[in-house]
Amino acid sequence: MKKLVSLLLVVVMVLGLASASASVYEGQRVRVVIGSTSTSGDTYMCTETVCRYLSKYLGADIKVDAVGAAEAFNTMKTAKNDGLTIMSFHDMTYLSVLFGSYDESYSLDHYVIGPRIGQNPGSCFYVRADAPYATMKEIAEYLKANPEETCVVAIEHGSVSHVGFAAYYVWVKETYGEDVAGQFRVALSGSTSTKLQMLWDGNIDLLFADYSGQKQYTEEGVEADLKLKFSGMMDDIPGVEGLPMMYEDGITLAGEPFHFSKDFLFYLPEGTPAEVVAELDAAMEKVAADPEFQAAMDALTYKNAFLPSAEAKTYIYEKSDTMKEIIDAMPSVDDMM
Amino acid sequence: MVIGVTHVLLALFGVAVGIVFGAVPGMTATMALAVFLPLTYAFDMAESLYLLLGLYVGGISGGLIPAILINIPGTPSSLTTTFDGYPMAKRGEGERALKLGITVSLIGGLISLVFLAVLTPQLALLARQFSAVEKFLIIFFAMTVIAALSKGALAKGIFAGFAGVLIKLMGYMATNNKPRLLIPGTESVLRSGFQLLPVLIGLFAIATLFKEAETGMKYSKSDMVETSKDAPKFKVSQLRGQGVNIIRSSLLGLFMGILPGVGGSAASLMAYSQAKTWSKHPEKFGSGIDDGLVASESSNNALTGGALIPLLSLGIPGDSTTAVLVGAFMLQGLQVGPLFITENPEIWTSILVALLVCNLLMFLVMYYPIKWIAKIVQIPKGRLYPVILMMCVVGAFCCRSGVMFDVWAMLIFGVLAYFMGKFKFPTAPFLIGFILGGDLEQYFIEALQGSRGSFEPFFTRPGAIIIWVCIIASMAYVVYDNMKDHKKAKAAK
Repeated sequence: MKKLVSLLLVVVMVLGLASASASVYEGQRVRVVIGSTSTSGDTYMCTETVCRYLSKYLGADIKVDAVGAAEAFNTMKTAKNDGLTIMSFHDMTYLSVLFGSYDESYSLDHYVIGPRIGQNPGSCFYVRADAPYATMKEIAEYLKANPEETCVVAIEHGSVSHVGFAAYYVWVKETYGEDVAGQFRVALSGSTSTKLQMLWDGNIDLLFADYSGQKQYTEEGVEADLKLKFSGMMDDIPGVEGLPMMYEDGITLAGEPFHFSKDFLFYLPEGTPAEVVAELDAAMEKVAADPEFQAAMDALTYKNAFLPSAEAKTYIYEKSDTMKEIIDAMPSVDDMM
Repeated sequence: MVIGVTHVLLALFGVAVGIVFGAVPGMTATMALAVFLPLTYAFDMAESLYLLLGLYVGGISGGLIPAILINIPGTPSSLTTTFDGYPMAKRGEGERALKLGITVSLIGGLISLVFLAVLTPQLALLARQFSAVEKFLIIFFAMTVIAALSKGALAKGIFAGFAGVLIKLMGYMATNNKPRLLIPGTESVLRSGFQLLPVLIGLFAIATLFKEAETGMKYSKSDMVETSKDAPKFKVSQLRGQGVNIIRSSLLGLFMGILPGVGGSAASLMAYSQAKTWSKHPEKFGSGIDDGLVASESSNNALTGGALIPLLSLGIPGDSTTAVLVGAFMLQGLQVGPLFITENPEIWTSILVALLVCNLLMFLVMYYPIKWIAKIVQIPKGRLYPVILMMCVVGAFCCRSGVMFDVWAMLIFGVLAYFMGKFKFPTAPFLIGFILGGDLEQYFIEALQGSRGSFEPFFTRPGAIIIWVCIIASMAYVVYDNMKDHKKAKAAK
């Protein structure tokens, strides 16, 4: 009898261990830190939407924490590599190192790169509705025709807005010459709210922001003082047409027609086991195939652009290399203020 | 349908939870909204609003409980509540102080609601006239309260205020991502600088615990705060004579709310400072006078309606808490901005009704059970303070979702405040400098960026000139008041 009970216990333990090792995430609590403190920005919206579905397919309880870039990066340095702490962030992850805001210990090499969970193609430039130009090309031409004029651009140091402007600046320099490029000035700023107020106050001429959040200011019925117009969309947004595209103006990015979407990836602490990443990949694949998830992303004008971790890694390293070339070609913003 | 049983129940839940968040040092209304935001996926827009506005109103209001009873501001905007609320509690008038605070909080909330309902477009237009230059000067004006609070120790108070500003500026500068004022080796932990909540808890709670520990905390009843049966009870008639103070403070709270980025702490500081300036007996401020408590509490609750004005009419959140509300609208597929009210009249009505319901519920939930809550002061300190210490550690740890450095920071500032007390340096000016220092710098930089480095707009814009006049008048009054006191002291000798 004792032998039988012992045997049964061993079987139960083996089965238990087997089922436990089948999933890292099943029944676990997962913390996803994001590199933004805003709960209305695209990082939170994209991550929260993904995690709502991901928790279903992983069988885990996922909590998204809007802790901001510095805290998210540091969390990844100190978190256990058990897959239960994940960072979700966009291109600022590598841009902040390329721009020198963070040292090399925060570079992509120090993460295990997980799947790409989505894309926001809606980054764009706006000008006041009564501005004497309507597209990014027209801004350069206006400055060329009016050498005494300047164009002040609000960007956030080391962010996507910084690299977006850098790419445009490099194109202006190559196409219109150093003098026209020299007519651009930079105002360093943080949130979109602050940039909007600076534009309304007449302190800046060009702002970089998200399509979906600022679209309302371009619509009929908005007071003339507040009204904006799109001057350059950085990428195609599915279902949105008739807006000035930067690539249609002939603007290029590293020699190719200008296309730039923010890529949202999962990043895990260094040393995270491959099977953890594989489980995330498998669950994300199911999320991406879920029609409800697709509809939720469409409603936010984000792209359901899942890439498994291996492909995501190659992709983000290539993108990082391209951006490095752009950044190296741009003068320091300290000289442009 | 903008109101139903479900809506009221959600508002009630929101208010009750919000009060707890507000009352626990280290937890704020913003945190409450951020925690509950993902739940609103399951609700429609009106239900989400009742829950979130309940959390907002409750979170702002709950801060007065620890501020009055144990001298620890539950939220940064209830800092000025401690100045007179705690002395009242020490006199055995804790229950009366709480009821007075709750009542004027309701009045402040309702005044701002009326302005929100009737004058939103006009007030949004007014807010638009305030550029970074005027915002910088308003923050500077709010900082003059340091001088008002440092009576008798002006030099030490101003020194502490400047030290607070300098400590706030430690970390990586947001505009250019360059380290500043950092001790080598602290670049990683102090990248975002010291956080407000650990500093606030350290200065007020931990320093008090050290001080009490020094005197020895007993378990006997003799250690309790005296509560006299003869202590005056709260009566509505006690608000007589406070009309001007309530209206002025509520309007200041509302005004500070409509200016995006200026914040609730500046609102209550400004209201307190003005109440003192215009009072017939300014010398009684800080000793447990109704006027100070009324100014603080009516202004910080009036902020709620004010902060919604730029959000709903310009798409710019008035404070950090309404910034979280933007997320709630986005989750429901709505954008707040210049067309929001005209395109969503039903939701607009829901917001107004929800805010009214939440303010009334806040009053009901807090006013009647407060007599039991007020008994906290009767718990022997030897038992109460370990619980407070635990809550402080949890609060500091939670303020950035689990950063241990914030707990150390809390202890560091506790020790600092303890020694400041020993050398008679006031801690409130230090905290005010810390709270306002970041905004002061941000608007200064923005203003200079806008003027391409010229200081001219600081002295030529009409709004700036008006604020300069207020600043100079306020400072002149403080100097005059100090000189008068000196003369009196000399004459007495």
